[in-house]
Amino acid sequence: MNQEIKLPQPRRLEHPVIWIGVIGGTLGSIVLLDRIAWLALPLILAVVLYYLVHPFLLRLQHWGVSPNHSLGIFLILASLLCVVASLTVLPAMLNSLSRFQTNLPDTMQRLTQIASEFLQNIESRFPLAKRAGLSAGLQARIDFFAQGRATQFAGDAALFGFKWLPSLLLVPFLTFFFLRDGTAFHQMILRAVPNAFFEKTLLLFDRMNRQMHAYFRGMFWLTVLDTVSLGIGLWLLGLGMGIFTLWQALLLGLVCAVFAWVPYLGTAVGGLVAICVCALQAPHHPQLLLGVVLLFCGVRLLDEFVYTPATVGRALHVHPLVTVMMIFAGGMLGGVYGLLLALPLLGIFTVLGQMFGEIWFDSRLRARHTARNLLEKRLASNDLDL
Amino acid sequence: MKFPNPFRLPPLDPKLKVVGSTPIFQDCTRQELENLKPYLHERNYLAGEIVFDEGEEGEGVYIVVSGKFRVSRKGMLKKKNLGEILPGECFGEIALLKSIPRLATVVAEEPSVAFALFRSELERLADSRPRLGFKVAIQVARLMSGRLQRLLEGNSDSHIFS
Repeated sequence: MNQEIKLPQPRRLEHPVIWIGVIGGTLGSIVLLDRIAWLALPLILAVVLYYLVHPFLLRLQHWGVSPNHSLGIFLILASLLCVVASLTVLPAMLNSLSRFQTNLPDTMQRLTQIASEFLQNIESRFPLAKRAGLSAGLQARIDFFAQGRATQFAGDAALFGFKWLPSLLLVPFLTFFFLRDGTAFHQMILRAVPNAFFEKTLLLFDRMNRQMHAYFRGMFWLTVLDTVSLGIGLWLLGLGMGIFTLWQALLLGLVCAVFAWVPYLGTAVGGLVAICVCALQAPHHPQLLLGVVLLFCGVRLLDEFVYTPATVGRALHVHPLVTVMMIFAGGMLGGVYGLLLALPLLGIFTVLGQMFGEIWFDSRLRARHTARNLLEKRLASNDLDL
Repeated sequence: MKFPNPFRLPPLDPKLKVVGSTPIFQDCTRQELENLKPYLHERNYLAGEIVFDEGEEGEGVYIVVSGKFRVSRKGMLKKKNLGEILPGECFGEIALLKSIPRLATVVAEEPSVAFALFRSELERLADSRPRLGFKVAIQVARLMSGRLQRLLEGNSDSHIFS
């Protein structure tokens, strides 16, 4: 009589060991990436570029271009873009940087004056603030910064640039090889997977690939939407005062949108940067500052309820409490790295955890793997007199 | 003296030839088979090794390159043997269309080699090469309709369940 084999249901993400593994893996990776940041940064940037460029190559292949030719076409276009950028944007950027350096002392002084006036205004209205000595405290900090610290910071910034330049030069190199040999590398990894776990592992790779693809593409479109919303908003706000041209407003919007990559905190920092810029450009228009604050609140709401669900939101199905906790833990362990990478890493480890639960706790798959090992052993010892 | 002909293509990989002879890929051109190659996962099975179990979630199709596989299904009283699958044949095609539980268990009868092609990868390939995707999809549909017809006529064979 045939014995009915009832396949056991695999345990999924709810298993506590898997949850601990997911959180531990995410935090461990943040610490590790922080330690080898000089290698991790180009690798991460190359992966991001890979996911942004790959759809373009697929589109070319869709039109009948071979994979190698599509990569060649992309390289030619990217090189042309670099040449055009270095001929047009780079001189303008260097020019702006030089002007920024010349104007820095004046800008700092004006910014300090605005902040002092603002704090004095608060102190005159609230005695508690006066007792705390907000204005004097700010002045003391600025004096301390001015006494030589500024030169040290400038030196550190220059060294920082030199330190990261060789590492960043690796990015196009790595991206090229990811694009060219990605499939072969994927095949090589899968060849090492035992037959019993093969299908599930492939499913894991596919889910992970989709997750990362959705996340990076989502982030790209979110940045574009934020840039356009903030840029146009800032331009409209400053329209009567002649503060920004449209391009300058879009550039400021882009800077704030990039800050917003750091969840929750980034928007606040971006808003602060925009307020500082507006305060410098139009110090006697407090309604403009109020407008900027309202604009940032509005864009934040749009982000939360329209943009993010339409772009990144569908990619990561993680509870908001876990998200916030992981961002703070990531920030504590890995600084800016941790803040930026906490969510994508959590997404990857969640998928890994789910699949690990499905593979490792599936006793039937493990039994099949053991049976294969026994068959192999029997085959190897067939002619031996044991 | 014999000069090499620069217009003659190098011979097709014999394993790809086997893939091209299977019903699903029989309409594919040489170039399409070459494009398919990076997505084919070669797996080696020992005699007696299970490829997949009945009831397991199916993710793709297996194309037999060498060796022999046996298909069986749980019966009321005993295991029902549904036949064997030989080189140039494939099993598990339904999983190319949808992730559904496997309808039978497949075991290697002798040391065998099979290529696995997964639904997700075929979908990705079809995105970049829609013509190839269409050819494969239409062949799978033809295969399924043929089997359904045979099943309705009462001539079930092993492949209906794989």
